[in-house]
Amino acid sequence: MKRASLSVLGGVIGILFFLPLLWVLTNSLRPGSETFAHLTLSWQTFFELKPTLHNYSALLSSDVGRATLNSIVVSAATVVIGLAVCASAAFGLAAFEYRGRGLVFGIVVLSFLVPFDAIAIPLSTMFRDWHLTNTFTGLVLPGIGNGMAIFLLRQFFLGIPAELVEAGRLDGLGWFGVFRWIYLPLSRPALIGAGLMLFLFQWQSYVWPLLIGTDAKHILGPVALSNLQGQNFADYGLVFAGAVVLTVIPLVVIAGFQRYFVQSVSSTGLK
Amino acid sequence: MKRRGQGLIALAFLAPALLCLAVLRIVPAISAVVESFYTESLLRGGRVFAGLGNYTDLLSNQDFRQSVGVTLLFTVLVNPIQVVVSFLLAVLFTQKAAGARLWRTLVILPIATPPAVSAVIWSVIYRPDGLANGVLERLGLPAQPFLTSSGQVLPSLIVLLSWIGVGYWMLFLIAGIQEVPVEVREAALLDGASAWRRMVSVILPLVRRPLAFVLVADTVSNLLVFAPVQILTKGGPNGNSNLLMYDVYTRAYAIGDIHVAQAEVVILVALTLAIVAGQFRLLRGDQ
Repeated sequence: MKRASLSVLGGVIGILFFLPLLWVLTNSLRPGSETFAHLTLSWQTFFELKPTLHNYSALLSSDVGRATLNSIVVSAATVVIGLAVCASAAFGLAAFEYRGRGLVFGIVVLSFLVPFDAIAIPLSTMFRDWHLTNTFTGLVLPGIGNGMAIFLLRQFFLGIPAELVEAGRLDGLGWFGVFRWIYLPLSRPALIGAGLMLFLFQWQSYVWPLLIGTDAKHILGPVALSNLQGQNFADYGLVFAGAVVLTVIPLVVIAGFQRYFVQSVSSTGLK
Repeated sequence: MKRRGQGLIALAFLAPALLCLAVLRIVPAISAVVESFYTESLLRGGRVFAGLGNYTDLLSNQDFRQSVGVTLLFTVLVNPIQVVVSFLLAVLFTQKAAGARLWRTLVILPIATPPAVSAVIWSVIYRPDGLANGVLERLGLPAQPFLTSSGQVLPSLIVLLSWIGVGYWMLFLIAGIQEVPVEVREAALLDGASAWRRMVSVILPLVRRPLAFVLVADTVSNLLVFAPVQILTKGGPNGNSNLLMYDVYTRAYAIGDIHVAQAEVVILVALTLAIVAGQFRLLRGDQ
């Protein structure tokens, strides 16, 4: 009896959280002119019997479509370069014994714990001087050093037995070989978790792309969508279709790596 | 000798990250501090040293003072609400109940939506003819102005930000609760402790650390809220949602007073750093 009431309570809360997304999905499947036609709440507010993909095909040739492709390119580059930088740093913090290791670790994690947005405005004036506005380099750079990713990878690296390293050294591996052929292959789960962090950071960013990349060739998805919404007489069908696409892409990535995502979240929160 | 050699090799592996750290974090922070002591001079052309001039300008600026007040009010409201709600949801969704996993997933879903996209979605929900008023009408309640009302604008933003964030913070707390051995949780149940007592005297003390982490991390992220303000309210009406991050942005790019904006960044970063330093101590202290 009590279990049943807990189920109902959980269900009501879950559905309340889900309703805005369902509403967005439904409206992305009907013409923009009908968005506000179902003003009075009814089942039709949340379901469409005659769905059309028209908004999605219109999205392909719109600014938001182009911007979504830009977001994919920028996020992918961030993950690849970011993993190289963060894994290498984590290796430097985990595999060696030297004085000041704890201090360097503290500085690295502490500085990266300050959310990037806090420093975005002064950094954007510097990037302007360096002619990095409206370049993919300018968009990718701030995402590649991620303190949480370094933290996560270091924790994992610390668990790799020293005997393995010694055996590798005896076999004639250099330190880069130890990193490349022993640490990286053993750390798949941590690398995936860190990659997810890098991806989500970049995919969700808004302040930085707004400051640094707003021309048609470099604009990112969220900025383009907010521009579209800000226009008078915006086509809400298109706005909703864009919102769905920008949500579904990270959703698919998270769902595909769900185990690693939850692991990375819990280990950064607890350790 | 060996130690020294190892340190140098470690440094080589750390170099790319340290370079990023220096160029992307430390240099802009220093540049913000330096620039905040200068001002643009029309007479002499170029910048001249202004001492604390930008800071005293800011402190006597009505908009800035209102922005600080709004940000403090917002901070005091949004963080306790989000932490308490995430904790209650974490407790609810770790009970054995039918469908708990599915319902939990629905609460987590908004994590995938980029904050700016969430803001766009809610800008339509909050329209006078949008979903929110549709729901109110169905419940027999009068339509509300939401974003155009001085009194309702902050609560409206808090609802939207909680929709985005609560599921995320809940994940940390669920992980924390699941670290509590099942026997401990079951034992309390067998003792006949009421649900409320179990929550307060058994679960709460055992998730102190993740709870502290969530509180601090949530506070920092809420200090830097930007997208919803820029997309939904532009700080209005009458500055009632003009959070500091948005005030810095308009000062730098709309008003074009980059030096005063840098002074404001310094204040904002100092505030954030103080909180992050506290967070760091919490993370290390209990180990």
